[in-house]
Amino acid sequence: MGILRLSHVDITVPDMDLARAYYTGVMGLDLTDETADRAFFKCWDEEDHHSLAVRYDPRVGLDRFAFKVEHEDDLADLERKVEQYGFHVDRVSRGAEVGQGESIRFETPSGHEMELVFDVEKVGGRTSKLNPEVPVDLLGIAPPRMDHLLINAEEVGEMTKFCMDVLGFRMTEQLVGGDGHQIGTWMERSHSPHDLAVVNGPNGALHHFAFWLDDWDHVRRSADILAYNAIQIDVGPTRHGVTRGNTIYFFDPMGTRNEVFTGGYRPDPDFPTITWTEDNIGQAVFYYEGEINDRFVSVHT
Amino acid sequence: MGILRLSHVEVRCPDLELSTAYYTEVMGLIETAVEDDKAVYLKGWDEQQHHSLILRYAPTYGVELVAFKVAEAGDLDELTAAVEGYGIATKRFAAGELGPGSGETVRFTAPSGHVTELVHGMEQIGNALPLHNPPPEPLGLSGMHPPRLDHVFLMCEDVDETTRFFTDVLGFRLTEQIVADDGHQLATFLERTHTAHDIAFITGPDGAFHHVAYWVDDWNDLRRSADIAAYHGVRIDAGPTRHGATRGWGLYFFDPAGNRNEVYTGGYWADPDREPITWTEAQMGRAVFYYEGVVDQDFLTVHS
Repeated sequence: MGILRLSHVDITVPDMDLARAYYTGVMGLDLTDETADRAFFKCWDEEDHHSLAVRYDPRVGLDRFAFKVEHEDDLADLERKVEQYGFHVDRVSRGAEVGQGESIRFETPSGHEMELVFDVEKVGGRTSKLNPEVPVDLLGIAPPRMDHLLINAEEVGEMTKFCMDVLGFRMTEQLVGGDGHQIGTWMERSHSPHDLAVVNGPNGALHHFAFWLDDWDHVRRSADILAYNAIQIDVGPTRHGVTRGNTIYFFDPMGTRNEVFTGGYRPDPDFPTITWTEDNIGQAVFYYEGEINDRFVSVHT
Repeated sequence: MGILRLSHVEVRCPDLELSTAYYTEVMGLIETAVEDDKAVYLKGWDEQQHHSLILRYAPTYGVELVAFKVAEAGDLDELTAAVEGYGIATKRFAAGELGPGSGETVRFTAPSGHVTELVHGMEQIGNALPLHNPPPEPLGLSGMHPPRLDHVFLMCEDVDETTRFFTDVLGFRLTEQIVADDGHQLATFLERTHTAHDIAFITGPDGAFHHVAYWVDDWNDLRRSADIAAYHGVRIDAGPTRHGATRGWGLYFFDPAGNRNEVYTGGYWADPDREPITWTEAQMGRAVFYYEGVVDQDFLTVHS
């Protein structure tokens, strides 16, 4: 029935050892696979092969992001729709990519490489399928799963239209400029406030990807862990007006912005879109502070 | 698309005034409509649709019906055909026919003996917030004020058969099960919303009601809910505690009529291809109450 949820984010890092140390020791992810120049991570409650892939490159950046579709037929269906919209689609055959089978890749109007995948290798979660215990031996922040990502686009309206009309995303919230154009949009497929958000900025850029936490207390504990490990916190712990979630933003040691996120709401497909006006942008993004720092607006990878 | 989620639950109560006072002031739901001396309609503050709970005047307690929201109008026809194909008669009601706010509805009795409805197009009345620059939550709400309905837990004699009906005919997916030593299902947990459960069944009399659960945002809300229940002299049944099954946290208590309520949080995201978890009969205590490790007899035997 189309796109199910975010599958994985593939980033580049200039220091693989540092990336491994941070994403396992501080973030508390499981290292599931490695090749000569790549490492694959997943959260403890995720059953799929990976939700984060890092690749060595002298520059910090984003290779692509991938969404998981619900049925095998969805790949062909969405491939046709993307091609009809006028974009070239590449098929990645089974065996060509680590941890997953066939997929499709294409460039979005925002200049990002996007991937859709159905057949992901299952490696299983940390807990048993028979009388499972709640895990108590987790290191670091240890989020149970990946949640969403936020990308930049020069033309937010165009990218949003593509995501909605072609890929079937639903818009839960939007931030609208005084002249009526969209400055930011938040879209979902998983009946959560957002799986993908787009905010005005350079094409192809990543603003952040976010891991899910169970509650505000876990957010507080994450801030303690980040501070202990001398990780640069960007903003928070605080609340978003948009999505109504609670959050901390911080940078991995290579410079990619991470978020831990909890809360929000469960929108039905007939959920009426919430609109934020430009004069309320501060509260929309950081509800407690009521203003956005320059770094949050200008730093992306 | 099929069933989207649990839409609403209708419970019986012999004293409508008392139950309404409890559900609005202790539970903190919002009253949306009243049918004099007959029924009261309520919803959680963040719900967009007209109601998620109906209190129906009756000389006794228990559950009158459970209703699920379908994603598209065409799903009603498709699911009607599937239910009738299973050999169960259905009855159709036009929007508005079943009371204030009601959508187009298909009604039938599930193999568990529960009146079950599928609904499309219930009136949308909006949550308690504006659609422009909304604050994250309204201030001044009473009691526990959960944002929304989460799941319902029912009893039936043959959990295996009921589970087959809900999975094969209605398209639910099994997330967890408690299996007896002889192999039959003592309890099953089923979902449509990619959560740990939207409905669950446990062995007991057909048609019996175990509890209805509202969602709260976190563990701290459960503590506050327990304070509110205790303050109002509401009888707490169990918790705050952790469930082994669903991995959520819960607090159980009774409404004035004797219907069990829960406030619930936590759990996990379940992909449609997530393999179900099995609990063995020997571990049933931890499956239900993970911290205590035993299920008290009241919890298994008291229902409405």
